[in-house]
Amino acid sequence: MAGILKVPGAFDVTPHKVSLCILLQVYASPNQLFVPFPFSSFAQHNRLGLFLLALTKSCDDILEPKLHELINQSREIGSSSIDWLADHLISRLSSLSSPDDLFNLFTEMRGVLAGQDAGIVEDDQIILDPNSNLGIFLRRCILAFNLLSFEGVCHLLTNIASYCKEVLSSRAPHEAHLDGSGVNLMEASEYENMDLENLVFEKVTEEIEAKKKAGERIPFHLHVPTPIFGLVEDIELSAKPTFKQSTKGKEAISYAMTLDGSSGAVDHGFFLRSNWQIQGYLLEQTDAIEKHGSSFPLNALEFMLGQLQKLAPELHRVHFLRYLNSLYHDDYASALENLHKYFDYSAGIEGFDGIPPSSGFNNSGRYEIALLCSGMLHFHFGHPKQAVEALTEAVRVSQQHSNDTCLAYTLAAICNLLSEIGISNASGLLGSSYSPVANMGTSLSIHQQLFVLLKESLKRAESLKLKRLVASNHLAMAKFHLMHVQRPVLSFGPKASMKLITSPINVCKELRLSSNLISDFDIESSMMITDGSLSTTWLKNLHRQRGSSVIFEETEPGNRSNASSFFSQPNSIPGSVSQLVGASYLLRATAWEMYGSAPLARMNALVYATCFADCASSVDAAVAYGKLIQYLAAYKGYKAAFAALKTVEEKFISVSKSQIMVLKLQLLHERALHRGHSKLAQQICDELAVLSSPVTGVDMDLKAEASFRHARTLLAAKQFSEAAAVAHALFCMCYKFNLRVQDASTLLLLAEIHKKSGNAVLGIPYALASLSFCESFNLDLLKASATLTLAELWLSLGSIHAKRALTLIHSALPMILGHGGLELRARAHIAEAKCHLSDASFSVPETSGVVLDSLRQACDELQILEYHELAAEAFYLMAITFDKMGQLEEREQAASSFQKHIMALEKVTDEEDPLLK
Amino acid sequence: MGSKEICRNELRIAVRQLSDRCLYSASKWVAEQLVGIELDPVKFTPSNTRFQRGSSSIRRRFSTNENTSTPIAGVSYVSTPVMEEDDIVDGDFYLLAKSYFDCHEYRRAAHVLRDQSGKKAIFLRCYALYLAGEKRKDEENLELEGPLGKSDAVNKELVSLERELSMLRKNGSIDPFGLYLYGLVLKEKGSEHLARNLLVESVNSYPWNWSAWSELQSLCTTIDILDSLPLNNHWMKDFFLAGAYQELRMHNESLAKYEYLQGTFSFSNYIQAQIAKAQYSLREFEQVEVIFEELLRNDPYRVEDMDMYSNVLYAKECFSALSFLAHRVFVTDKYRPESCCIIGNYYSLKGQHEKSVMYFRRALKLNKNCLSAWTLMGHEYVEMKNTPAAVDAYRRAVDINPCDYRAWYGLGQAYEIMGMPFYALHYFRKSVFLQPSDSRLWIAMAQCYETEQLHLLEEAIKCYRRAANSNDTEAIALHQLAKLHCELGGLEEAAFYYKKDLERMEAEERDGPNMVEALLFLATYSKDQKRFEEAEVYCTRLLDYTGPEKETAKSLLRGMRMAQSGFPSMSAEHFPP
Repeated sequence: MAGILKVPGAFDVTPHKVSLCILLQVYASPNQLFVPFPFSSFAQHNRLGLFLLALTKSCDDILEPKLHELINQSREIGSSSIDWLADHLISRLSSLSSPDDLFNLFTEMRGVLAGQDAGIVEDDQIILDPNSNLGIFLRRCILAFNLLSFEGVCHLLTNIASYCKEVLSSRAPHEAHLDGSGVNLMEASEYENMDLENLVFEKVTEEIEAKKKAGERIPFHLHVPTPIFGLVEDIELSAKPTFKQSTKGKEAISYAMTLDGSSGAVDHGFFLRSNWQIQGYLLEQTDAIEKHGSSFPLNALEFMLGQLQKLAPELHRVHFLRYLNSLYHDDYASALENLHKYFDYSAGIEGFDGIPPSSGFNNSGRYEIALLCSGMLHFHFGHPKQAVEALTEAVRVSQQHSNDTCLAYTLAAICNLLSEIGISNASGLLGSSYSPVANMGTSLSIHQQLFVLLKESLKRAESLKLKRLVASNHLAMAKFHLMHVQRPVLSFGPKASMKLITSPINVCKELRLSSNLISDFDIESSMMITDGSLSTTWLKNLHRQRGSSVIFEETEPGNRSNASSFFSQPNSIPGSVSQLVGASYLLRATAWEMYGSAPLARMNALVYATCFADCASSVDAAVAYGKLIQYLAAYKGYKAAFAALKTVEEKFISVSKSQIMVLKLQLLHERALHRGHSKLAQQICDELAVLSSPVTGVDMDLKAEASFRHARTLLAAKQFSEAAAVAHALFCMCYKFNLRVQDASTLLLLAEIHKKSGNAVLGIPYALASLSFCESFNLDLLKASATLTLAELWLSLGSIHAKRALTLIHSALPMILGHGGLELRARAHIAEAKCHLSDASFSVPETSGVVLDSLRQACDELQILEYHELAAEAFYLMAITFDKMGQLEEREQAASSFQKHIMALEKVTDEEDPLLK
Repeated sequence: MGSKEICRNELRIAVRQLSDRCLYSASKWVAEQLVGIELDPVKFTPSNTRFQRGSSSIRRRFSTNENTSTPIAGVSYVSTPVMEEDDIVDGDFYLLAKSYFDCHEYRRAAHVLRDQSGKKAIFLRCYALYLAGEKRKDEENLELEGPLGKSDAVNKELVSLERELSMLRKNGSIDPFGLYLYGLVLKEKGSEHLARNLLVESVNSYPWNWSAWSELQSLCTTIDILDSLPLNNHWMKDFFLAGAYQELRMHNESLAKYEYLQGTFSFSNYIQAQIAKAQYSLREFEQVEVIFEELLRNDPYRVEDMDMYSNVLYAKECFSALSFLAHRVFVTDKYRPESCCIIGNYYSLKGQHEKSVMYFRRALKLNKNCLSAWTLMGHEYVEMKNTPAAVDAYRRAVDINPCDYRAWYGLGQAYEIMGMPFYALHYFRKSVFLQPSDSRLWIAMAQCYETEQLHLLEEAIKCYRRAANSNDTEAIALHQLAKLHCELGGLEEAAFYYKKDLERMEAEERDGPNMVEALLFLATYSKDQKRFEEAEVYCTRLLDYTGPEKETAKSLLRGMRMAQSGFPSMSAEHFPP
């Protein structure tokens, strides 16, 4: 253990302070004239003064430096007199052998101060102004000494003895190094840090000034991940007692030391000195835990926290961190235990050394936060029922204590909970218990309840000016609009029109509103800097300085440049804010994906991956990368996609395994279908289905997707009736759980099945239904593809419908060419060519250019995709065209290509796929 | 009988040896047990079965060649006089040191013995140093910080003591007492496993050192650890096991052991107090009171365990007895945590909670790990409506001993008071886990489920059922069960529980609104079930009560008579004369 533990809050005389007093005496020796004895110049003298000033300001730290550390630090003054200073200090300290010596020392100290009545001060005499910083410090020391009981004096004496002992015993070897050349590595690194600190100093002071003006509260961020975007819980715990000390100024002279016992514990083995740094360290760890999720080293942090708790038992946040740590490692029992412990302790009075929490919050004002947290804990562990109970209780208690802030957050959390679990199994959940939603009447569907709640929560957050919450509420709202098809809000009655709509405009609006957050923070960024974050910045720099890896080093050389440019300057925007803004981009990408603009979706995902990867949680980042890879697969073929997947897999090695896993399976399935490996496709399909039902609950989206893919596989294997049955069941399920978007695509799939089975008449109604779904839900790309299917269906009814089909295709073509993937484009091209070919009025020589052009394009695209079946069809059509045109050579070429693809399709090789484990 | 005689002889020598080594609390304990042995052994002719375990004498007498380990302990006891020899060699210094020690001048005692090499002298020196360190530590705790906060004061002698004792052990020149001290030092340092081993070694070679046993007991936190200890089968082991079972909340096992021990040590105050403790945990307050009354008659200046007696008196609301007890301990020794707790209890009973908190605080000042004081203080804060403070106090109690179900219960209660029944459930769950046989805990939990906010009646029913099964003295559970079932529409179950409740009330001759309610329900129910005779019985019983129920019963009776006699009269109408 380094240094001597000190009780925060009380100003005690410690050996460290005694040495400061001795140095002060040297600095302002009353008897010396002009430049005092040991100094050769003013500059040196002033440097000592600055050094002492910095030391006195950091005297509220939890740990104080040991004597040899102090001496090492004082070398910064860098004069020849330092040896004399050190000797003087040590000899003075070691000469203190009886309590009386101490009394005499402090009596002497009084002489350093200029008396109030001294009146005339001679110009060249150095006298400490009693009201200067140093003077006040000295006076405090003297006062504290005078207050000591005799036992206290005895303690001080023994402490001084042990404080000196180590230096005295190591003195002999130490002196050998005093020429300066033999400074060991450890010290060297300390010097570097010192420089660094000086840099940070200026910033720190500014920030502190700003904070003094601004903040009564210290926001304590708790981040809660949700699959699509992180709803950031920005709980403002009322200020910790330590805040009081911030007025004393917080320039911390401090440096990191590797703790003997923990040096093996990765790079967490830092020991921190000041209260603020510990707070900062805790905050940083909080962020890190959240960012890295379960890949965060459990035991290393646990060890650190144990140490911290031993050192500072009154620092209850340690319990909270323990809670977080076990939460992310899915240790339910310990998470629950620590959560309760944290709130039991921090909410009481006795644990606070008698300093009452800052005004604005009454003492019982924290228990609702406890409920909020326990609600989120249950949510995390997949106990929606308990979560709802806890959150409703939180609502009630915060209403009781009129804690509007907490209420707003709780409402947001309930919304989040509802939107996560509401779709599959929440009906009846809320009705069963007394809850704020229950009084809205049970006639409302869960979606309407959610909508009302979201509105309510947003209103509250806006009136309370909780910017982050407003932003995250906007995001939730956008997500709601995106995911849920609704009837027009005002008409619930049975007679109201049953027309369902989605509202992309609302989504867009909400997203924009949520992004406003960042501009708000630009304006007041300096005000919102938290106490911990400055220490965090400092720590981050330290990490870099020492070249130790920050666990999660970017492995991709391509991304490194982006990321590091963001690293390099300390970001003035808090992590939570940029996380929120990042989430809005991610949501934007999803929205565009849904509405059918691939380039825009890709752009947003790209923005997210480059700009916000730094602060994103790994789950979110994995989602963004997944989107990019999906884009690659659809537009650049599988080779590129798999190459990218490989790097991403390395990057997220254990973090969000399931996400990457799902992506990989999707890609593999897609490719197997195209290549005609239906057996493999089926196998992958089954794996996907397994993934959709993890222990914690069923992922409805994934489940729907798995069965969708199952139907497609059956279709590819030409088992039409089975495929239709599966698709039918899927449709029913989607309808039941309100997955309207999936409904539309399932209908399309049904149309497709009927088309393939040669039953075009049956297929048309499905295609039309899908079309109308897409229209009302604004699913543009899907609509284009439905139009295409419809055209194909018409076409297969006979050549008389060729014209109608062609107009349909032409209407969809702009959308398809602009946003569609390779497959869709190829299909459109082939269909167009087919239309031309089957048109009775079509004459080959005149329009062959059009046909061949589109066929050629289709062939190119399909070859990238390795989609043998369609490629064969395209080459066949091409061969026919050439045949009609009489170009035999080209005809042969096309025919041989056709043969190649047919062969590939028939030769269903069981070649081991390297990507399939 | 021989066995008693042997115990007596063993104890007699042990008292002398222990007090010679200044292990006073152990010698006190041993002496108490010595006196506790029945004086007139001829009265009883013990059967063989009674002495199957523990007593070596029987076996020796019947000269069975079973490999019992008890005789080995006897052997080690025989070898103890060897230590007496060096007493003669350095007797003078030793005597001086012992006198210093007796005057609490530990360092002086250690100093006198600095050059002595006898085992006894070495032990006394180390022990004196240890105690000196402990004393200084306590003082420092007081000087550095309030004893309510955590403090980092340590016994500064531990390091040097450990060094010396480990060296002695390596040389093999360590006696059982040294091993005990070594174990103590290691326990203080936190290496519990090693400490356990050493203590086991110590008690195996010298079983009469009760201090070693009790240190060992505090290190046995689970039954697995207890079972895995390689202990010799000495009769002292029974004392140890009884105590350990009690700590592990196996009260019935512990009680059985103590009752068995009482066969030999029938006058032992210690055993009586321990039995009282076990009975207290089993909530047999009447018996506890009787035991303590007798204890106080025999040993009027006893302070140990008296706080438990005060708890019982508190629970029974015996004002004067409690005040008498408080006065007695106050005069005897007011600076004992037990005394402070008793006084605190008294004030609490009087409703003067501020004063009571003050005394609990004093108890904590005297011993900051005083578990019951933290918990009781929590109760007081709850009474004073200072829930955050109560939460804090309870939480500290829980941190000292996570098995203290009262503190968990208190935490739950505090949160329930704050209107957070869901949050409180966590704590109630903890407490019922630790004490599943206590109906009050189950009832508290059930009431939590029953609150308007949670309204989880199914869960509440489950809890009440547990409560009803585990001896619900206040008879809340049955009534509530009936009511809840009624509310949920399970009339059959409701009738079942009302009947049970009724039987119980009859058996205990209680009366009141519950009785009326039960009767009324049963009357209506059996009427609806067309069991008119039964219904009539209930109705007639209801007629004994005043109030609206009487009228209801009357109208029910009338209705039934009408229905019964209605049929013939109807027929009469059909056939007019």
